[in-house]
Amino acid sequence: MSAQVLLGLRLLWHDKLRLLSMSASVAVGVVIIFVELGFLWGILDAQALVATLARGQFLVMNKTRADLHHWDKIPAAELTLFNGVPGVAKVMPVYEDHYGLTDPDGGRTVDSHRIRRVILYAFSPIDLPLAVGDPAPMSAALKMADSFVFDRWSRPIYGHIVPGMDVELDKVPLQVSGLATMGPDIVNDGNVFMSDTEWLKRRPDAQPIMGVVRLAPGADVEEVRQRLLASAPSDVTVMTPQEARARENNSTLKAAPIGLLFALGMVAGLVIGTINCYQVLYTEVSDHLGQYATVKAMGFSDSFLNGVILTQALVLSGTGFATGLLFSIFADAFVAWLTRLPIQVHLESGSLVLLAVIASCVLAGWMAVRRVEAADPAALY
Amino acid sequence: MPTVQAQAVSYAFDTDTTPKQVLVDIDFTLARGEFVILTGPSGAGKTTLLTLIGALRSLQSGSLKVFGSELLNLAPKGQREIRRKTGFIFQDHNLFDALTAAQTLSLAMELSGERLARDAARARAEALLSALGMRDYLDSKPGVMSVGQKQRIAIARALINDPPLILADEPTAALDSENARLVIDLLKQRTESDGTSILMVTHDNRAFHAANRIVDMVDGRMAKT
Repeated sequence: MSAQVLLGLRLLWHDKLRLLSMSASVAVGVVIIFVELGFLWGILDAQALVATLARGQFLVMNKTRADLHHWDKIPAAELTLFNGVPGVAKVMPVYEDHYGLTDPDGGRTVDSHRIRRVILYAFSPIDLPLAVGDPAPMSAALKMADSFVFDRWSRPIYGHIVPGMDVELDKVPLQVSGLATMGPDIVNDGNVFMSDTEWLKRRPDAQPIMGVVRLAPGADVEEVRQRLLASAPSDVTVMTPQEARARENNSTLKAAPIGLLFALGMVAGLVIGTINCYQVLYTEVSDHLGQYATVKAMGFSDSFLNGVILTQALVLSGTGFATGLLFSIFADAFVAWLTRLPIQVHLESGSLVLLAVIASCVLAGWMAVRRVEAADPAALY
Repeated sequence: MPTVQAQAVSYAFDTDTTPKQVLVDIDFTLARGEFVILTGPSGAGKTTLLTLIGALRSLQSGSLKVFGSELLNLAPKGQREIRRKTGFIFQDHNLFDALTAAQTLSLAMELSGERLARDAARARAEALLSALGMRDYLDSKPGVMSVGQKQRIAIARALINDPPLILADEPTAALDSENARLVIDLLKQRTESDGTSILMVTHDNRAFHAANRIVDMVDGRMAKT
């Protein structure tokens, strides 16, 4: 290890409390970046949740349904056409609508509104096209007559709902037969689930919002896709869940400037991290100015001292990143608990964030070396 | 060839009003193996002369040769070469709190150009610290040392590469009589055994006996006593 790297490491390691405080300063920027990323991906993930939870290889829906939150339905008859396509095991209709759910606590909700809007999904309890809970208990709960399954991750505005209690759904008392796991999005606060049979009893004319296509074992995905497209009516589109998700993300980013807003937030985090890193390095240099001047008087070059500072900048980028990542995990988990949105640290973004933090700390180090270069050995006398 | 040869060296500091002349037409020679003490009242220009000889400041006028190299208009790389061959002993030790005595000396040894094995470097550090009565602090950091002990580490740092020129500014100010004598004797020994040239600024008369020559400076000018 070179002498300047060793000196840089020793200077940092000597005062561990100070190193922790310096790392925390850099970590502030890292937390901001990760939280902004968490918010952005949380919103995008929530909006595309139905596609993510689909238990099939394709989604079939009305072509005019521009995104997953439009209500354009697809005739059930058109869905059944796909059952005959070679390679298709089954096409599972999913119904979607919105209902009013009455708070069972009788008005003791946050804002005293007893009836809150909830999204209802209905599908076959045998096929379970959406992965919203363990299949066996979910299937059993959905099969019960005059009942529905409540999404335990719905926002707490609906009151305290547990299996076994009677709750009014669209002013009709139904029993809560079980709990599912899905989560709200930025517009809808909660979800309930019902079997398609139960749903069609109440809405005989209902049409599915989409069909989830499950392929037969060994079927070639691309070949089946081509067959589905060839047999699809002109008003029907066929997508993989991944394609639907990507389209949904695109639609969400276009509909509102959230991409720009969060990007600005991340840039702010980078700027703050750079400033903080510069401040701690500047203080470190200032506190050791006499020593740095002495080292220059001994005959070490500016580039040697620059190496010492840059070593410290790199180490701080690592310790700041690690500290910030740890805090971000807790911060995102807290916000996720508050909002019920799938907000979390996306580790696949971690390497990019680390690179950005390293770049910002190197920039801060480059600015701080100006201070070292100004250290005048003659001033020691 | 003398280690230091100054001819008509003058230096002035820029101030807000008029330049302050601190050195006026200095002619001075420091021979190889010579031990010279500079004395004089505060503001006489002693420290400024030290910093010029050590290439810590740029020469403004006159001729100043150190190790045969002219310092007037010397490039930064040349200035670093002069500094590497010079052992500086400052009034303030300016040790890194994070480094042990051994690590401090090891850092200084990076400048020597020698590629010493770790054990050999440590042995050299140990030997020099023993000569200065600091062997027991080889692996200690400045935080556990007194001011006088830190100063001795700083002196060791200046001497570890056996520089042919030593420039010292009040090196014994923080030392008790016994340790001051230890340091002076060590420096004197260097002039006799290695031909090291020493220029020391001091008011400590405990050092006067070791000097070959004592030069008095007043108002930027030099007189010989």
